[in-house]
Amino acid sequence: MVALGALFQLSVLTFVPGSLKTGGLTDANFRAVLAPQYLRYIWDTIVLSALTTILTLLASYPVAYALARTPSARVRSLILVLTLAPFFTGAIVRTYAWMLVLGQSFIKWPVKLLFEPEGVLIGLVHFSMPTMILILAAAISHIDPVYERAAASLGARPSRVFLRVTLPLSLPGIVSGSLVVFAWTFSAFPTPELLGGGRVKMIANVVKDLALDSFNWPGSGAFAVVALVVTLLVLAVTSRMLGREAAADGHRPA
Amino acid sequence: MNTTVVALEGVSKRYGAVQALDAVDLAVYEGEMLSLLGPSGCGKTTTLNVIAGFVEPEEGRVLLDGDDVTRQPAWRRGLGVVFQSYALFPHMSVADNVAFGLRERGVPRADVAARVREALTLVRLPEAGPLRPSQLSGGMQQRVALARALVIRPRVLLLDEPLAALDRKLREEMRAELKDIQREVGITTVFVTHDQHEALGLSDRVAVMNAGRIEQLGSPREVYEQPATRFVADFIGASTVLEGRVVDARTVVLAGGQRVEVHLPRVLSAGATVRLVVRPERVAVGGGAGGAANVLRARIASVMFLGDHSELRLDLDGGGRLLATVSGPALFQPGDAATISVPPDAFLEVPTTASL
Repeated sequence: MVALGALFQLSVLTFVPGSLKTGGLTDANFRAVLAPQYLRYIWDTIVLSALTTILTLLASYPVAYALARTPSARVRSLILVLTLAPFFTGAIVRTYAWMLVLGQSFIKWPVKLLFEPEGVLIGLVHFSMPTMILILAAAISHIDPVYERAAASLGARPSRVFLRVTLPLSLPGIVSGSLVVFAWTFSAFPTPELLGGGRVKMIANVVKDLALDSFNWPGSGAFAVVALVVTLLVLAVTSRMLGREAAADGHRPA
Repeated sequence: MNTTVVALEGVSKRYGAVQALDAVDLAVYEGEMLSLLGPSGCGKTTTLNVIAGFVEPEEGRVLLDGDDVTRQPAWRRGLGVVFQSYALFPHMSVADNVAFGLRERGVPRADVAARVREALTLVRLPEAGPLRPSQLSGGMQQRVALARALVIRPRVLLLDEPLAALDRKLREEMRAELKDIQREVGITTVFVTHDQHEALGLSDRVAVMNAGRIEQLGSPREVYEQPATRFVADFIGASTVLEGRVVDARTVVLAGGQRVEVHLPRVLSAGATVRLVVRPERVAVGGGAGGAANVLRARIASVMFLGDHSELRLDLDGGGRLLATVSGPALFQPGDAATISVPPDAFLEVPTTASL
């Protein structure tokens, strides 16, 4: 709360170029960061976060399903170890590893990935998958397999059982996993900083540029406040939309 | 004359170290209601799951109308299953639950609505269609589960402890209703239960299971009156097992020294050891049962008043314990001496070799 208060205070003070000292009260910072070149970064961040969320969901669901449903304890712990491995390497090491992989030195990629949005997207998805997998697996393992048996006994082939029973019943996990991944991708810093190479910028990178390269602390404060408001708005809207649906489908075994 | 609908041939299934099913043979006839009765872990639910196609046996074959369906997945078998927890889909309305199987079969939309209505009327819930399962009571959910299973017009109806989750009064009502519906539809039914009253009251035939085997298969009266093994005698109905030694074809000396006359279908050889089962309702306490009855001396060990009847535990003079029921309250106190009479045909024999 104190940090947020300081951020807000900074954002309404006048920027004096060439000095870290600030002047009197002003709304000039907000008018400046609401200019198109800054709004573009916010829009880029929303798009990247949304894409990351969707791709993470698609990539994680099969892994989470296997984790929740495999009868073999050995397979389960193998999946779990592979899922959690990135957690033990730390953000910086992992991101430098991606720079090596995405660069053209080890693998000759047909399209350029490093320092492009595609490369940042790959890094963000990888970064988000463990969390998504764990949230989804928890939701799937809470679905009583008797529902799947019931659907099969009524003539549904496995793909239909999945579409009509398993998937809708795992919706609460899909909603909470997506919200978590969206929120933390929105504030991502090291991944776009290193894999974007200054060409792909998300909100956190712009805040850092303003604060540490231009020494425009009030400007960066204003931008951070705007970003915070946008994040809260996006989260409120999506959780309201998805939450209502999930509540209607909320499952409580008899 | 009896057409076999479902047949199990030498079906075995093992879970780790546990032999859940041990070479089970079973034939279910057209239109009958057959119950699988036994304690938990006896293999009755595994048997049902093998028939339904949820569990694949390691050995043996499953036949449906003579066709080998052992390797056929559940969704191809066309059987109706009612689960113990009902397993109604919580994210769908009652009508959508009942319609599920019809939609999977590609039944035209107009027919789906009509058949759903028909099925809900059959289970006496014609108005429940738009509700969510969570808005229904346990008994109502049970009926919806039955409607969902019956609406696809399954070849066989499989019921897994369908009444176990209901409270006692509702369970007795549903028991009668289940029987009516089954008779109305005339569908071949396999019914899993651990409750002997359910099994005896509902079924045409009862398969009593223990440790992965069928101990006895017969009509409710057969398994009650002529238990094939000591396990069946113990499990079905309260009963007492007395040991004795054969004196001649009609006379047995009980372990406690008292002599009784018996009428057993098998010719007894003198000197052999026999195990005799006596049902508690055949034991008369106090007043003589008349004529040919054996009169025995005993002492009351305990009295339990159960409303419409009382249950007495009796210690026979010289040894041996006997269970007796009398209607209404019992006029005895523990420790009282009592004369009891048991008619000769009340003694049933169970094989001495059968282990408990």
